[in-house]
Formats: sequence, C-alpha cells, structure tokens
Amino acid sequence: MIFFAEAFLSDLVRMNVVDRDGISVGRLQDVAVKLGEAFPPATKITVRRRGEPLVLPWSAVRSVSTEAITLNEPLAELEPVQIEEGEVLLEESVLDKQIVDVEGHRVVRVNDLKLGAVNGAVRLVAAGVGTRSLLRRLTLEGLAIRLWGLFGRRPHERLIGWEHVHSLDPTSQHLQLDLERAKLARLNPADLADIIGELSALDRATVVSSLDEETAAAALEEMDFELQQSVLNSLEDEKAADILDEVNPDDAADLVGDLPRERADQLLNLMEPEEASDVKQLLKYPDDTAGGLMTPEFIAVPSGMTAQEAIGYLRKAGEEAETIYYCYVVDSNGRLIGVFELRDLIVAPPTKAIDEIMVRDVVAVSPGTSHEETAGLMARYNLLAIPVVDDQRRPLGIVTIDDAIEAVLPARLKKQLPRIFAR
Amino acid sequence: MRTLLRRRLLLPLFALFAVLGPAIITANVDNDAPGIATYSKAGAVYGYSMLWLLWPTLVVLVVVQEICARMGVATSKGLADLIREHFGVKVTFILMVALLVTNLANTAGEFAGLAGGAEIFHLSRYIAVPLGALIIWLVILRGSYQSVERIFLLACVVYLAYPISGILARPDWHFVLRESVRPALKADVNAVAMAVGIVGTTIAPWMQFYLQATVVEKGTRASDYSLARWDVIIGSVFAIIVVFFIVIACAATLYPVAEMETAAQAAAALAPLGKYASLLFAIGLLNAALFAACILPLSTTYSICEGIGWERGVGRTFRQAPQFYLLYTGMIVLGAGIVLLPKAPLLRIMLFSQVMNGLLLPVILILMLLLVTRKSLMGELAASRSYAIFCWVLCALLIALDLFLLASSIGMV
Repeated sequence: MIFFAEAFLSDLVRMNVVDRDGISVGRLQDVAVKLGEAFPPATKITVRRRGEPLVLPWSAVRSVSTEAITLNEPLAELEPVQIEEGEVLLEESVLDKQIVDVEGHRVVRVNDLKLGAVNGAVRLVAAGVGTRSLLRRLTLEGLAIRLWGLFGRRPHERLIGWEHVHSLDPTSQHLQLDLERAKLARLNPADLADIIGELSALDRATVVSSLDEETAAAALEEMDFELQQSVLNSLEDEKAADILDEVNPDDAADLVGDLPRERADQLLNLMEPEEASDVKQLLKYPDDTAGGLMTPEFIAVPSGMTAQEAIGYLRKAGEEAETIYYCYVVDSNGRLIGVFELRDLIVAPPTKAIDEIMVRDVVAVSPGTSHEETAGLMARYNLLAIPVVDDQRRPLGIVTIDDAIEAVLPARLKKQLPRIFAR
Repeated sequence: MRTLLRRRLLLPLFALFAVLGPAIITANVDNDAPGIATYSKAGAVYGYSMLWLLWPTLVVLVVVQEICARMGVATSKGLADLIREHFGVKVTFILMVALLVTNLANTAGEFAGLAGGAEIFHLSRYIAVPLGALIIWLVILRGSYQSVERIFLLACVVYLAYPISGILARPDWHFVLRESVRPALKADVNAVAMAVGIVGTTIAPWMQFYLQATVVEKGTRASDYSLARWDVIIGSVFAIIVVFFIVIACAATLYPVAEMETAAQAAAALAPLGKYASLLFAIGLLNAALFAACILPLSTTYSICEGIGWERGVGRTFRQAPQFYLLYTGMIVLGAGIVLLPKAPLLRIMLFSQVMNGLLLPVILILMLLLVTRKSLMGELAASRSYAIFCWVLCALLIALDLFLLASSIGMV
C-alpha cells in the first residue's frame, strides 16, 4: 500500500500520530529502517508519549497526510514491537551524523533524510546535505526561499541517493553488510584514502576494519605517512597484520619500522611468515637509502630460458611482483647479468633465448645508495625501476619510480599547511 | 651540517613539543590581548591583593580543559561535531552564530591590542593592523605546517617576556609571596567584578573548541590519556605563571592607579622604570595579539563549518570549501577593519566581547558536562560520579560568577 510519494524525515518527526478513530496516540519520534538493501525499507516507527516510547511496525500506519499520521487500529488494539538487530533509527543514529558520499568521494553531514515509495514500500531514498535541508531543519525554509527568490535563485537542495551513501553508524558497520562493503571497495584507492583521512579516528577504525584486506591495503598505500600510522594505531593487531600482509613489502616495512618496537614485533608475528620475512629483511636498511625504498617483489628470470618459457614464468610470478615491465636475468649463482623490457619479450620469436634479447649493461645501486643518487640515476637513464644489488651483484630488490619520486620530493610539496585544521 | 644541527638540536625540541602540544598552545593563546589588559588592570589598580585568586583560577582552568581533552581522546571528534550529533541542528546553529559574533568581537580585541602594542614602538596602527592581518591570513592559508608549527612554538617562548619583565620590575618578593596565599577581597562591587573578570577571561568559550580540535588532531589514544592530562596541567600552570608575572609587573610599578583601560597603557606606564621592562611588556603584548588573532578566526571558522557540516580545512581549495574561506577571511577583515575605524569604540567592543563570552560560557559548559558524563559516548573515559559532581559544583560556581560579571558589564555598557 502506497500512501505517500515522498516526505522528509524532518517533516514527519514530531507530527501527530492518531489511531483509527482519530484519538491522539502521541508524536512521531523516529523511523527505523532495515539495512541490507540499496534503499532500506521503513520497518518501524517510534511514538513519543507519556512513559516509554511506543514502537509500532510500519504496517500499522494507514496513511500519512500533512497534518497527521493515522494508524489502522484503535489505540487499545495496537501491538507494540521491539527494534531488532539490523534495524537503525534514523533520527537517532543517522540524522546530523556524518556519512560517506561514495559518488562525490566526500564525507558529509546529514541535514535531512528523504523517504519515498519505491517498489511498493516506503524506503529511505536519499540524504539531504545541502543548504536547503539545513534551512528546513531550522524552520527557515520558507523565509529563505523568499530571500533567495529576490535574486532569482532557489536554495540548493543537494540530495545524495542512498545507494551512493555509506553510513558510518556503528550498527551498520558492525553487521559487516556485503552491500556496504562493496560500496567502498568500488572507490579508487586514492579517493578511499582521502575519505578515511576525513573521518574521526574511531570511525576510521570501524571503516577500515569493515573493508576486505586487499581494499584496505590499497587505500593504506595511498595515505600519507601520518594517516597510515593513525590507521594502524587504531586497528586491532589481528586486523592490522592481515592488512599488512596485502601491503607492498616496501611500504609495509616503512610502516612497521616506525611503530613502537613492541607493537612492530607483535604485528610481524601475526603476519604470514613469508610476508613477515620480506618485511624483516627490508627493515635492516636505513630509511634514507635505496635499501629502505626497495621492494623484494620483482621478476628475476634464470639465464638460459627461451622467450616462450619466460612468458610462461611471468604468468605465474607476475601477480605478486610490483612491476613486470622490467624483467631481470640472473645467472646460476644468482648474480644479475641482464635486463629486458616486457615489450622486448613479447615481440621476440618464442624460441629466441632471453640472453639474446636482454641488455647486459644493467644500471644498479647498492642498498646504501642515497635517495637522491638513486632517483638521479633513474632520471638519467629513464628507468621505471632500478635494481638494488649486494656486493656480489645479487639482486635484493627494486626501487620503483613512484617511490623514488616521493622520496626526493621536497617535504613542502608532499604536505601543505597546518595539519591541525587541514582535515 | 644543517641536517646535523636539525637532528641534534631541533628534533628533540619538536619531540618535546609533540608530547606537550595542544594544551600548552591553547593555554598560551588564552593569555591574549584582552586577557593581558585585564591582568594588567588587576595589578595596577589592586596591587598584589588579587594574586591568591590565581589558585582557584588554575583549578578551574585545569578542570575545564581536562574535560575537553578527555572528550577529544574518547570520541576523536570536535566539540562542535559532538554538539551537533547530540543536541541537534537548532542548538548548534544558535550556538555557532553566538560563537561567530563573540569571536568577531574577540578578534577585534586582538587587533586593538596589536594596534596599542605597535604604537609603543611608534608604528601607526594604520600600518600595523593591516600588515598584521595580511601576515596572519598568508601564514595560515599559504604557509606550510612546519613553518606554522615553528611560529607557534616561538610565540609560546616569547611569553617568557612577561616573567622577565616582572622580575625587572623589582617587586617586593616577600610581600608577593604573602599575598599569593592570603585570600582577601574588598567588599566593593568593582573589586568583585575585577576578580570575576580574571577568572572569566582565563576561561574563554572558544578555547574549548580549539583545545578539543587539537587533541583530536594529535590522535591521542585512550591508553595514553594520562599524557594528555599532563599536557593540560603543564599548559595551565605555565599560563597562570605568565598571568602571575603580568600582575606583579603592573603591581610593582603602577599600583596604585585609579583606572586603567588597555594593556598598551600599562606597557607605556612601565617606561620610566626601565626601558627593557616596558619594551618586553610591549613585545609580549604584540606577540599575544598576533598569536591569538591567528588562532581565533581559524578555530572559530573551523568549529562553525564542523557544526554546520560545511567542507573545511586549509587543505581544501576555495571551490571546495567556499564557506570556510569566506568566513575566515571575513573575520580577519572585519576584526581588523573595526579597529581602523576613526573613533572606533574599542572599549565597548572589548566589553561587548566580554559580555558575549559570559553569555556563551555557561551554555557550552553545561553541554560539555552533559556530554562528558554520557557513558554511551565516552566509554571508560566517562566522568566518574564523584568527578561529575565536583565538575557540576564548579560549573555552578563559575556560572554564578559569570552572571555577576555579566550584570556588571551590562551596567557598564
């Protein structure tokens, strides 16, 4: 039964609720919706009256007019119900709180909520975040429309469709709904990182915990250093370790390296042994050297393979590596003897030996080389990555161009302006 | 070499600053130009007899700031944010309008202090005030975080000018010590108003918003809460020590005078007793005015945008956060502009800001206490029953004093 097309929560709240015979029951206090659908259906209402507020199922509502909400039973026959898990009270838990606008990539405050009839049920359809919904709440809407009208304008409504809203309400976070998780996972990691940066520390912890590890790791890699620390600090150890497993080892080493000793050890113990040993390896090198920048996940192909074999090798190993555009060739002693680009490999005849397509004169740095020198070499030779080798010329890892740029960029370009009020 | 110097000398300093951050800055900003005027007047007109009052003031300052720090740590949200989420849009809106008006008047007060301080150095206010406003605007909107942090740190150190100027004034230390512990108050309306004024200017409403914002930004965890508490205590003690020396500097040299209006008068009056005492006092005043004029408009704008839900922060562009930039710029332009008006009624503006502070403070204190006692919000950091009662009693006392001040201020306006 559809009895209204649409209404704002602020118009409904405090409206008179009358029973079938027109006898006053009280005033509407709140509307509950059931989470888990793109547009959550309204399931309960709470009515304020003397004593305990009365909770009624939405099905008890017969009609909503501009004057009153009419119920379809007489007062004496109303059956009170309870708010159940998975239901959230809009006025109490969503209105005036912050939400994530997934489409606009921003954290915004909810000024009003719009309910509407969709698919035969009354549902939560949109969040009002504009000036007009703010004015409506202040009961200044009429005045403002006239004022704006003098300039031939109208106050801006700005609704965000609920399918694009990720609620920060603890109940919905706690439920770990796939739908909610998917909304955030759709975002570009850099946008997600920005959004997480705008949240309060507690919201950060719940949002990051609700993400799957891969999404969380991708976002974590995009954050600036202080935000990374703050996120890691706010997470439970187990979750933090799971996310670190998915983070590139070089970034993970930077992160773990700056944690207090005790917590760093704890996280390393909880991580997958393989990932943890990569990180521990990298932690040995000081921050301001090539060793501190490198990642151990690169492609090393044994000398003697054919192009065909090498492509097969890449298929298997390529997923873990940070980049596959450069493949390094090592001899039987594990020493670096050459490098070739992915393009060279693909255009080569399948039977050609990689030793014939590789470049033998590989530019490499040692773990102790400074950031500036590393970046300088990469610029000079137009490299997207540079290998880091030990004194036997065995490759330890590679430094990729993105990390090198970030390391030498002046600090002021990386982060501008007072943190205090920059959120 | 430069990096060596940075590592050896400056980093430990910043590390210290990182631990003892927000409350120390807040407490220092609190000794702003109108504040210094009040303390100078207390010393000049009432001598050492008001010194004992600094003890109760210290207690109140610590308690009020501690509540903010506690809420910041427990909820990791700003005060305006919490008020919006728990008391709704109407309360927030009215409060934010009041905060804007009050702090606009306060900002004008800071620029008036800047003008007064500059004139001691024979620099016309028509140069000093626009220049100061421009510097403030640029530093906050165009400077890097590191530079701003260093400037703030330096500004805190400059407050040491007051203890030095207090010592240069050669007070009778024996007498000072005795008066510091002997509660006495003349049964005189003006004296009581003065006493209330000292407490009132020390606990300004906007500080609560600022302190909580900085605590949140530091991201102190609940387990490190005791550190935040020490920050509050150390900051408050430092602020009160500065007040103590302002009072004795003026008491030792100026007392007794019948009336005194501005801090600049105090600085000028110190001149015959030693050039350095006077200069230091003026430098302190300039510093305080600039420091507060920097933080006040920024913190006000930030709180308002937070409460209303507008985009905010200097990391945003003008297109992303127009309200933030317009409000911030507007406050500085208006605040500085009022002072430059010919025959600007500066005294009235100061009184007006005091009255507005007085009206706003009880409301904010009550909201704060309602929030800090909520178990569902604060978790294990919720105020215990006995602490809550203590706070409510203190709050009631403060409100009573506040209303008294309000009544006497309105009488004067």
